[in-house]
Amino acid sequence: MRSPVSPELRALLQQERVIPPVSAMQRARALARARASLKSTAVAPVAAPFAAAPRTRWAAAAAAALVISAAVGAAAYEIHSRSILAPVAPRAVASAPRAVVSAPPAPAPAVAVAELPSAPAPTAAPSGLSAADAARAELHLLRQARGAVSRGDFAAALSTIAEHTHRFKNGRLVEEREALRVKALAGLGRTAEARHAAVAFRARFPRSVLLPTVSQMPASRAAP
Amino acid sequence: MSADEACLEAFLRELDYVHRTLRRLGTSPSETEDVAQEVFLVLSKCWAAYDPERPLRPYLFGIAFRIAAAHHRKRNREVTFEFVEVNDTGPSPDDALQTKQARALVLAALEYIPLPRRAVLLMHDLDEVPVEDVASTLGIPRFTVYSRLRKARRELESAVRRLTKART
Repeated sequence: MRSPVSPELRALLQQERVIPPVSAMQRARALARARASLKSTAVAPVAAPFAAAPRTRWAAAAAAALVISAAVGAAAYEIHSRSILAPVAPRAVASAPRAVVSAPPAPAPAVAVAELPSAPAPTAAPSGLSAADAARAELHLLRQARGAVSRGDFAAALSTIAEHTHRFKNGRLVEEREALRVKALAGLGRTAEARHAAVAFRARFPRSVLLPTVSQMPASRAAP
Repeated sequence: MSADEACLEAFLRELDYVHRTLRRLGTSPSETEDVAQEVFLVLSKCWAAYDPERPLRPYLFGIAFRIAAAHHRKRNREVTFEFVEVNDTGPSPDDALQTKQARALVLAALEYIPLPRRAVLLMHDLDEVPVEDVASTLGIPRFTVYSRLRKARRELESAVRRLTKART
């Protein structure tokens, strides 16, 4: 169908046709959340409780959150923390595209993660923490690191990353942590270390959606 | 590769498209990630029914449209041009200012078109989906596609004029 629109509008539409890329962090979060939802579905049919009536939402969310936390997947932390911080169940989703019925999007957590009490003093392993506390602590640390990197405070980021590595060596957000490490090292001009971290990242997460970001970092460009 | 993995990979491949489509459908920047996750949940549930020979974007659009419409019904809000301009700067550092403003203008103007007509315009004029596929994706007759498209274009022209005038 020939477009009977003005040349000006046609030009505007032409510009809007170019799809801007989402940020690497948005992509990482999307991956983590999607994986978590697949795994939680595989472990137990928790989707139905999430769609429960408002009165039972909190209990359902808490129960489902336990299942999710048992499943592997970084985004479980996001979902889990949201359910902890704001007792609002995620949207219900019908099984067919034409029958989507959903509640409004979950509002922002009533309490920002940054406002939460500090995580307990570092321990060798988070075994002393409940699953919920560990989830919250790990997410909190990663958010701190992410914030420091985005502020350009790479030294602080590295320090937080080190703490995360110490407490959650093989945590569920390890993929994002290691990507942040490359970025922080590169930001500090520690090129050789950044390159080394990038190579290690590529070897450990060969299919990571963060690979393009890691590869784009100046220090890792020359990496094999 | 398992079906889940294939679905996840396809979704991530089209993540940029999903986000932009949701923004075009009126989802606010702060909600877009949550709503995109809903799109993924629906996609994963009906992945078995998806014919990989068919293009994925119209299929994703159908899902995104229905989810966005459900959210839309639950709120009455008006996005001003200023709001869009400030919050939708777009992540591409290479975008010229003019391009950014043009895109923000389109996004703001789209808000003035009711969702059913907007969906037709988005699919046909931005995603360049053939009329037949627009009709089948949205479950409406071809004639309705044409009539909605004509009206949506008029509404878009008029909104762009209004917003441009308001800005100057």
